[in-house]
Amino acid sequence: MDATFSRLTMTAASAMLLLALVVLWRRHVSAYITAFRTQSVVLAFVGGVVAWYGHVPELFFVSVVILILKGWIVPWVLSGMETRRHSARELHPLVNTETSLLVCGALAVAAYEISRPLAEVMNLATRGGLPVALALIFVSLFIVVSRREAIAQIVGFLMLENGIALLALLGAYGVPLVVEMGVFLDVLLGVLVMQAVVYHIYETSAD
Amino acid sequence: MRDTVVIAAQTLLLAVLAPAVVGYVRFAKARLQGRRGAGVLQPYRELRKTFGKGMVIAESASWIFHVAPFAILGATLAAASLAPVVSAVQPADVLGDLFVLTALLMLGTFFLALGGLDPGTAFGGMGSSREMTVAALTEPTLAIAILTLALTTGSTSLGVIAGSVLKTPAYAVGPGHAMAFTAFLIAMIAETGRLPVDNPSTHLELTMIHEAMILEYSGPYLALIEWAASIRLALLLTLAANLFLPWGLAASLAPSALAAGFVAILVKLGVLGLLLALLETRVAKLRLFRVPELLALSFTLALLAAASSFFTR
Repeated sequence: MDATFSRLTMTAASAMLLLALVVLWRRHVSAYITAFRTQSVVLAFVGGVVAWYGHVPELFFVSVVILILKGWIVPWVLSGMETRRHSARELHPLVNTETSLLVCGALAVAAYEISRPLAEVMNLATRGGLPVALALIFVSLFIVVSRREAIAQIVGFLMLENGIALLALLGAYGVPLVVEMGVFLDVLLGVLVMQAVVYHIYETSAD
Repeated sequence: MRDTVVIAAQTLLLAVLAPAVVGYVRFAKARLQGRRGAGVLQPYRELRKTFGKGMVIAESASWIFHVAPFAILGATLAAASLAPVVSAVQPADVLGDLFVLTALLMLGTFFLALGGLDPGTAFGGMGSSREMTVAALTEPTLAIAILTLALTTGSTSLGVIAGSVLKTPAYAVGPGHAMAFTAFLIAMIAETGRLPVDNPSTHLELTMIHEAMILEYSGPYLALIEWAASIRLALLLTLAANLFLPWGLAASLAPSALAAGFVAILVKLGVLGLLLALLETRVAKLRLFRVPELLALSFTLALLAAASSFFTR
């Protein structure tokens, strides 16, 4: 029972990290959005698993909200932004792909090393996923700083947010519902504001 | 004595089965593309025909050109002898482990590149330089991906790895295992010159890798190299099947278990070959400059898999 719980959460967390790494390799915004959407669906799955095995029924509600907000509304808004972008389709990262993949490998190993003492003193079944969540946060941060186009930076930022949510789910079985709702509203508002700002950027300068 | 028989039988099985694996993948691909396709046994006929032909050898070729085909086949056969094919009881474990296997595969690649360089033609040199670019990233990836399993099971011997995953199925479910398997598959595709990296069915492209190196070979030498290439494909597919998904592998040397293991490996090769054909039908060849990026991805995956296996232990 506990073993299944830990395996399921670890595999899902690794899938989320994998999707962040895939973003580094792809060059089109639509692939970025698909990766983010899939990642959010996996996050909702983690929420469901933690709710079921950790006996936290309110997390079911939270994962449904994740599914609707991050799995559907936000990708939809992002796709809308992408269709309004007239410049070149291909993205141009500041760091080349091989280097950024190797840097992210090093970042992930560093995250494993940093969180090892933490994972050792905890006795939650989900502790194995903590290093992965931290690695996801580091990799997403790297995506934000290493992309030139605003929309790619937004996807990186949303993945960073996913990483923090994953850390909260695995490390504390979720935060209180009020805080969770506040975070969701923040994300939605943030994306809408960013949409307006990015539109202005495109208007005033040719990307 | 019994050990020698077991090793020889498994190696022989892989060597004899290999052209059929290639023929099967080609057949499946042809069917997926709506062609009738040549039969599964076509590569055997091609090998027989090529063995019977005379050779045209460039005047500028040195002795390396003559040694290379034998060295390639020898290294590949030696590597094949280490793999558990039908039974997890693999006496060759005392001869070499996963590092020896990777080194032997690398030795074959090395001689292939030398053979391409030796006659001094432009295509051969280009192919060799490309092959080395690819090999520099695939070989460590293969080794690290298998090393992930070694870290979980506590042994670097291939037979022991397969045996203990067989005994404790929990090892096979987990993030490290999945990432290592993905990394292994990408490295395997690059190593055997399959589609996103190299196109196995054309000879007239400026982007070819494997075919460019063996362009100067003809007759029996070409047959030896082609046979070695098919053994390499069969060997890597077998490793993917038996190390990562070892179910069906015989745990003892009893005749019934061996028969079950034989059927299991045929089924697994069939499924993996079909997946390979599906992949080759769906994807287009990558630009050559994007190949190292794909390989860097697989290397990072293997590295993460190895790192995360410290946590699941």
